[in-house]
Amino acid sequence: MAKQSRQYKVFQVFNVILLLLIVIITLYPFIYVVSQSFSAEKYIIAGKVNLFPKGFNINTYMVIMKEKYFWVGYKNTVLYTVFGTLISLAMSTLLAYPLSKKRLVGKKLLMPFVIFTMFFNGGLIPNYLLIRNLGMRNTIWSIIIPGAISTYNLIIMKSFFEGIPNELEEAAAVDGSSTYRTLISIILPLSMPIMATMTLFYAVGNWNNWFGPFLYFDSKDQFPVTLYLRNIISGAQQSSVSSGSDADELAQIGATIKSATIVLTVLPILCIYPFIQKYFVTGVMIGSVKG
Amino acid sequence: MNKKLKKLIMCTVMVTLCASAFVGCGSKKDTAKTDAKVKDTGTFLANTTFKSDEPLEFNMLYSDAPNYPYQKDWLLFKEITKRTNVTLKLTTSPASDYSQKRSLLISTGDAPLIMPKTYPGQEVPFIASGAILPISDYVSQMPNYMKKVKEWGLEGDLKSLMQKDGKYYVLPGLHEKPVQDYSYIIRTDIFDKYKIKVPTSYDELYEATKTIKAAEPNIIPWTDRYEFQNTLNLAAPTFGAIAGWGYGEGTKYTDSKTDKFVFSPVTSEYKDMLTYFNKLVKEKLLDPQSFTQSEDQAVQKFVNGKSYIISGNSQSITSLTETMNSTIGKDKYKISKILDPAGPKGSVLAGNHLENGIMFSSKAKDNPNFNQMLHFVDWLWYSDEGQELSKWGVEGTTYTKENGVRKLTSDVTFQTLNPTGTKDLRKQYGFSGGVFAYGGSQDLYLSMLSPADVAFQTAVDKTMTILPQAPPVLFSSDEREEANLISKPLTDYVNQMSLKFMVGNQSLDTNWDDYVNQCKTKGSDKLVDMTNKVYQETKSTLNK
Repeated sequence: MAKQSRQYKVFQVFNVILLLLIVIITLYPFIYVVSQSFSAEKYIIAGKVNLFPKGFNINTYMVIMKEKYFWVGYKNTVLYTVFGTLISLAMSTLLAYPLSKKRLVGKKLLMPFVIFTMFFNGGLIPNYLLIRNLGMRNTIWSIIIPGAISTYNLIIMKSFFEGIPNELEEAAAVDGSSTYRTLISIILPLSMPIMATMTLFYAVGNWNNWFGPFLYFDSKDQFPVTLYLRNIISGAQQSSVSSGSDADELAQIGATIKSATIVLTVLPILCIYPFIQKYFVTGVMIGSVKG
Repeated sequence: MNKKLKKLIMCTVMVTLCASAFVGCGSKKDTAKTDAKVKDTGTFLANTTFKSDEPLEFNMLYSDAPNYPYQKDWLLFKEITKRTNVTLKLTTSPASDYSQKRSLLISTGDAPLIMPKTYPGQEVPFIASGAILPISDYVSQMPNYMKKVKEWGLEGDLKSLMQKDGKYYVLPGLHEKPVQDYSYIIRTDIFDKYKIKVPTSYDELYEATKTIKAAEPNIIPWTDRYEFQNTLNLAAPTFGAIAGWGYGEGTKYTDSKTDKFVFSPVTSEYKDMLTYFNKLVKEKLLDPQSFTQSEDQAVQKFVNGKSYIISGNSQSITSLTETMNSTIGKDKYKISKILDPAGPKGSVLAGNHLENGIMFSSKAKDNPNFNQMLHFVDWLWYSDEGQELSKWGVEGTTYTKENGVRKLTSDVTFQTLNPTGTKDLRKQYGFSGGVFAYGGSQDLYLSMLSPADVAFQTAVDKTMTILPQAPPVLFSSDEREEANLISKPLTDYVNQMSLKFMVGNQSLDTNWDDYVNQCKTKGSDKLVDMTNKVYQETKSTLNK
């Protein structure tokens, strides 16, 4: 008994050290960015900022808050995320629930169709042409509708719904509940873990999505804040440095501006995580153990 | 519900669902053929203001640079509309992904009429599909452009843009004198301290670094950035080779007498250049990390006083000064940009009169206002009045002009000018932005530079010789693909080996012949032969 517990203790020590190492490796870049955003520019260029801010100031944040397009982008991102997540959740549930029922007519036909989309894609140009011909360009639908149902998430939801005992539904049917009533009043309240997880997945996906808006929007007023951020970080370096005639274009956006914008963009998602945390583990483990 | 009724409803729903899958099919509706002819608006004269009788709107792609974000209400756009009656309808793209957006729009047929910020070479992939306009066919409608080409003698330079059919597809930015802004920035105070005079040649640069090293053995005087590509680009012509940013495919044109191309990386001139830099690295005068370190690392060493020489341009002086005022202390240091040093082949420069320009969608020629559009582009980007507007702004509001000398109004700031101004020329007004303001006469170019930069450019103009441009080799797209198949891995090999030679991992004495043979195995001879063959075959097109 004593031997076993010592081995276990050794394992525990190693485990903790290993995990701490991983935490440090993943956390350090983030701490670095945060401390950069609070530091004075000159220390960053001189390479003196490592873990803690040097020359602590919040000037950069003040400067960014005054930028009109930062707020426009932020408003757009929030709009796209909230709207997009709601639609995605609704549509995913509406598809996952029937698919989870064994008695669905044509299920054997439908499932392969759905799985196919997980592996194959039309490609960039055909997708663009489709969206354009549907007249969705420059509207919010172009980024919400095409990716509304993520097949991966759908399958997770379906597995979860399959885990809900049929007897519950039968009992509800006996009491005279229609299909929709069953879904809304019985199944959904039981599905809080999966709903929370899916909200998180979809919200993060929508929040980070810059490529869709980049493709389909022509006006700066519709760009999300992630596109604004991308332009700040890579835009100033994109000019061809072949002959020096773009000398003034290479004026770098200050490192503090980049870091501060990153922090501000990530903050909301970061705040959501603690609330979803408790559902996260359950949600991800869905479907791993049947019954 | 009645079982039969239910079944009926189910069937109807299923059939509707299946039928809706076919909704996407169907023939394209024939858009009403307007057959509107392109309006002929008569000749547009140079040095006159373009003004349209009726309000016009042209679609244009705009690259949104993050340092001066696009604002709808910029004075630039208001003034353009006021003077010309033209409104520009912009499709904005973030500068970070501008070329991707442009490719996408062209490939899907949504390209705007006017697409600026196109560097010579970037238009090539789109030519085969016929999506862009061969602008050379229409430049007769652009008197200001033609005038500048003629006055500044740029016909030869324009040939470098020519494609296999003898036409060119991008309307380039024109410079009266080639702009050379990059050079080396030195700590002038250190040079003064050790009584070293400012080096004018690479040999003198070597001696200077040796002196500094002798006085401060722990310092490596020269640490460079841009992965040494800038330095190679500056040094190579002075040694008689091509390297760095100006490498291209490695095929160098000899001269108009011998009239052929050789593979520069295996020439003795290239070897001399590598020998020079290897000498500096060996004697610890040049930091071997220069070839690989990031820009931040290189700059850090310089601003912390750990090195005294670095590559840079006029903008670098500004940003380095800002930092070094705090890291080293104002008045405790002095930096300046030296004139590009001369090499064994003299004080030469591979300068270019052309730069990024405008590409047009081929649909433009079907637009009834096509001629108007050409005149408008000619006025805005190539007339003296249009260029002054784009660069300086509105006289009286953003600048004043007295006896031909232009000055920003006191409240307007731009880079180093009027540092106390509250309104930035680009951010608030949209002037001097990269999409509209580039190229131009030497007078216009110098007008906005700081006195130090003006001195630099004037010195470049006086002492340095611009090497003649190599004639273009009019590859067909198949030939070009074939050439790329060879040149890409070959270029990688050359770069790798050049690095090894300079750093000392490979010896220039014992390993050089192996390297030359390897280049040949990788197809350098084939590449050169192909280049020469195509050049000789297509030479006649160039003289059309």
